[in-house]
Amino acid sequence: MSQEEEIDDRGFKRDLLSSLPNLRAFAVSLTGRHDKADDLVQDTIMKAWANQSSFTAGTNMRAWLFTILRNEFYSQMRKRGREVQDSDGLFSERFSVHPEQYGRLDLQDFRKALDKLPDDQREAIVLVGAAGFAYEEAAAICGCAVGTIKSRVSRARTRLQELLGVSGESDYGPDAGDAAITARAFGS
Amino acid sequence: MSDEENRNPNDMTVLQSSEVKPGAVQPNASISRKLREFYDAVQEEGIPDRFLDLLERLEQAEKNAKSVNAK
Repeated sequence: MSQEEEIDDRGFKRDLLSSLPNLRAFAVSLTGRHDKADDLVQDTIMKAWANQSSFTAGTNMRAWLFTILRNEFYSQMRKRGREVQDSDGLFSERFSVHPEQYGRLDLQDFRKALDKLPDDQREAIVLVGAAGFAYEEAAAICGCAVGTIKSRVSRARTRLQELLGVSGESDYGPDAGDAAITARAFGS
Repeated sequence: MSDEENRNPNDMTVLQSSEVKPGAVQPNASISRKLREFYDAVQEEGIPDRFLDLLERLEQAEKNAKSVNAK
């Protein structure tokens, strides 16, 4: 092996490692469970490693990895014959198993609400609102139009507000009016 | 967005100025904050050993394959 190749290899592994915590958080968001998420991440690592040559050095590895993980997630769901939009069913299954896995107590309500979102809305709001992607990147990862991502994020926010009964505190005021407008605009 | 620097600048459209950071400009501050708290809590768990071991094995397997090919 040439020295140059060896350096490239190390760069690939290093970049992969640095993306892993973020990628894993995305997997947990999609699956709703740590055990399933880690299986998904493992499959993604193996796919990414096997397809190293298809990654263009200097481009966004994080977006590349997220795309692989997302494709893997939906393809596994299809294989299991699961309805993609059956989020209520998934919800009950997820939360009947290992409740202690769901992390900090104060975040459990949020996590349950997130799990109730349709998959397309959940992934959109997570990619844009937490994983650090621009709308354009999220659209590329999900294989849809930028406008579609925007409307999904907007509907996800409205739905989360409803589910979490955002009230009291300083959450009302201008926010409530905006949310109502958003809800009307997207007919949700 | 420090880790976005390697993005192709042509990817960005007119949306950039107002909409790239929804958490910063969207009105639903409480939802955005909780989402990030949830997400960051998972990120802070770090990288489980099983993935470090897996990468180690993949790397080793690749090295072995290459040294066989080189002979």
